[in-house]
Amino acid sequence: MTPLLSVENLRVTYAGRDADRIAVDDISFTVEPGEIVALVGESGSGKTATGLAIMGILSPNARVAPGGAIRFEGRDLLATPEKELRDLRGRRISMVFQEPAAALNPVMRVGDQVAEVALVHGERDRHAARSRAVEMLVRVGLADAERQYRSYPHELSGGMRQRVMLAIALLLKPALVIADEPTSALDVTVQAQVLSLLLDLQRESQTAVLFITHDLGVVAETCSRALVMRAGAIVEAASVDDLFHAPKHPYTRDLLAAMPRIVSSR
Amino acid sequence: MTPVPLLSVRDLRVRHQSSGFGIAKTTVAVDGVSFDIGRGDTFALVGESGCGKTTTARAVLRLIDVSGGTMRYDGDDLLAMRGETLRRHRKRMQIVFQDPFTSLNPRHTVGAIVGEGLIVHELARGSEVNARVAQLLQEVGLEPADATRRPAELSGGQRQRVAIARALAVDPEFLVLDEAVSALDVTTQAQVLALIARLRDARGLTCLFIAHNLAVVQQVATAVAVMYRGRIVEQGPTAALFETPAHPYTRAMLDAVPVSDPRDRRERTPLAGDPDAGGSLPPGCAFFPRCPHLAKDDACLAAVPDLHELADGHLVACTKAAAPSL
Repeated sequence: MTPLLSVENLRVTYAGRDADRIAVDDISFTVEPGEIVALVGESGSGKTATGLAIMGILSPNARVAPGGAIRFEGRDLLATPEKELRDLRGRRISMVFQEPAAALNPVMRVGDQVAEVALVHGERDRHAARSRAVEMLVRVGLADAERQYRSYPHELSGGMRQRVMLAIALLLKPALVIADEPTSALDVTVQAQVLSLLLDLQRESQTAVLFITHDLGVVAETCSRALVMRAGAIVEAASVDDLFHAPKHPYTRDLLAAMPRIVSSR
Repeated sequence: MTPVPLLSVRDLRVRHQSSGFGIAKTTVAVDGVSFDIGRGDTFALVGESGCGKTTTARAVLRLIDVSGGTMRYDGDDLLAMRGETLRRHRKRMQIVFQDPFTSLNPRHTVGAIVGEGLIVHELARGSEVNARVAQLLQEVGLEPADATRRPAELSGGQRQRVAIARALAVDPEFLVLDEAVSALDVTTQAQVLALIARLRDARGLTCLFIAHNLAVVQQVATAVAVMYRGRIVEQGPTAALFETPAHPYTRAMLDAVPVSDPRDRRERTPLAGDPDAGGSLPPGCAFFPRCPHLAKDDACLAAVPDLHELADGHLVACTKAAAPSL
């Protein structure tokens, strides 16, 4: 079986004042259809740059070095023209960001932002797009979806906004979702809600997820495989069970040792 | 006989006034909070966004006005302090904020940031200041040479060490740590937590530790209070609270902490609803709309449940705490 996503020798550099800064340093990995893979690391490890490179939305001062490839459903995204990438984004591959408040359009009703995904990808009938959006809002747990369709992002809580982001990302049942710290900005009880929702949606649509996170607890809770990044490189790639029970790299061990956990003597 | 607590807060109330489009609005941020912190103890206030934990800390530091209640510090009436008395008191209580990226003046050097308190409180002058700053930087695990650097040249963990050195400069006895490790990476977080524990023990500090994550406080706190919508819903010695959590909200918060081993994965039913959802509260128990307790009924809405003692020092504000919940 060919992998859904195959990242080969990816290097990303950011232009600096004096020298270029290497954010991602020659990494390779694959994601199989329907699996949840964690990309774990601390700030500055290159995990977000990796996600942005796959989406093709790196900032203008970033550069992907020649010689690498990002193969997705059989084509190299690095060699794909922007027009075709735009057709893929939202339909075959989508992204959920950490701060839904920053990712949503503040002056557009949230329902319209969900419906827009359908309209951009070929839906001609505005009413059909609207009812698909309402249906999706119900699915992600907005209780009063018809009314909340008309809300603006600032009228919703952080958890609700992230549910809207999931609705946008998963409306067209893409093959891959890149989830960049989707629950890190949320309160603990809301984090548990959103994680459980993400897993339900993932199971339903058989979407593969590249889960970018700094939180090993979230990895233990949701992922099947993990890639540990440090200073732009993948230092360990393992099944989640091996990662927690037989970590090989000293940095993985440090991360595990530092993980805040509830100790129970019960 | 129990010793007199260093800080004693009774029935603290804080209201925030805001106005949007000319409409004045009053939000009750802290609604009748009481607790004691003994000398050398670390008291953790835990809760989600908007529960009033930070407001409580600011009130304790006399950074904001309160609308009711009393606070005594070492026997003195904190709320009666004015002018010079308050100014002199300030060096006894210091704070470390959550975000070392915004709490340090980017234009000042580390030396100026750490030394400012020494100069303001006339604790050192001239070359003594630099010598004290060098000592403080070493105490928090930095180099004396870092005094000439600016915050932008430092990592998040190093900045938080600077913030701790600044707080310690005036030799306080009481330290408020407001989400002091929440913005840091996990490995840095563990190091800074260890540093805080070490400094606390070495200096005999009393701490008020504010956090949104129960997993972080278990290691450092002697006692924990869980806040929800401006009130303490459960408090007690750390072991009691973690081993026999009694309030459904405390249980839900503990349950929401991700597992630390993939083999412990389980189907879970997350608590519904939002802690930061606005709107008016129901009469009675504020947690009622989200409460998963099987025994919940109209009695919960009759009156705001008072904290009552379950065991030695373990208090809970739930009328159904003794009833089976599952």
